[in-house]
Amino acid sequence: MSGVHDIGGSSGGPIDRSQHDVEDWERLADAINSALGGKGLQTTDQHRRAIESLPNYRDLGYYERWTAATEKLLIENGILTQAEIDEKASEIERRWGGS
Amino acid sequence: MTPFHPGDRVQVRPAEKPGHVRAPDYLKGRSGWISCVLGHFPNPEDVAYGLSGMPEKTLYRVSFRQSNLWDGYEGPDGDRLYADVYEHWLEPEGER
Repeated sequence: MSGVHDIGGSSGGPIDRSQHDVEDWERLADAINSALGGKGLQTTDQHRRAIESLPNYRDLGYYERWTAATEKLLIENGILTQAEIDEKASEIERRWGGS
Repeated sequence: MTPFHPGDRVQVRPAEKPGHVRAPDYLKGRSGWISCVLGHFPNPEDVAYGLSGMPEKTLYRVSFRQSNLWDGYEGPDGDRLYADVYEHWLEPEGER
């Protein structure tokens, strides 16, 4: 069974040509990736593989794929645990939830 | 592994391998010719998992007849598709 990076020759359907401005969190996602790469904590090859193996790849936007793959690699490479990431995400949600 | 030379007839292994595979699915089991040797590189299928990818693998440019790849291909008979394929995905034609 081929992955999402291996669909050459098959019908891809219509292309979504809609555009949107780059959002702040997308810039941050890009910056975090560069920083992790710069510190030798992940490589482009690993990141690409992690993106392409996301089970929900087709439901995600470009930088959503990036962040999901980064999360996966941070856990895989033993830098953060799922619990640490979930805890921080809850904390941010509380802070931004305003209630 | 026996190195291939330009002009050799080869076949892309019709193998299924899980993970980050670099041989296009549409070429598996198809025959072509070695066009040229592109060089030796760490195996990207291992590098994708944070491994060294060593020893290096030879990367070949392989030429395929378009009419041999696509059902009902209507282009000129001489049309070719060139694909870069690593040595571990190639075997001499007729080995199987």
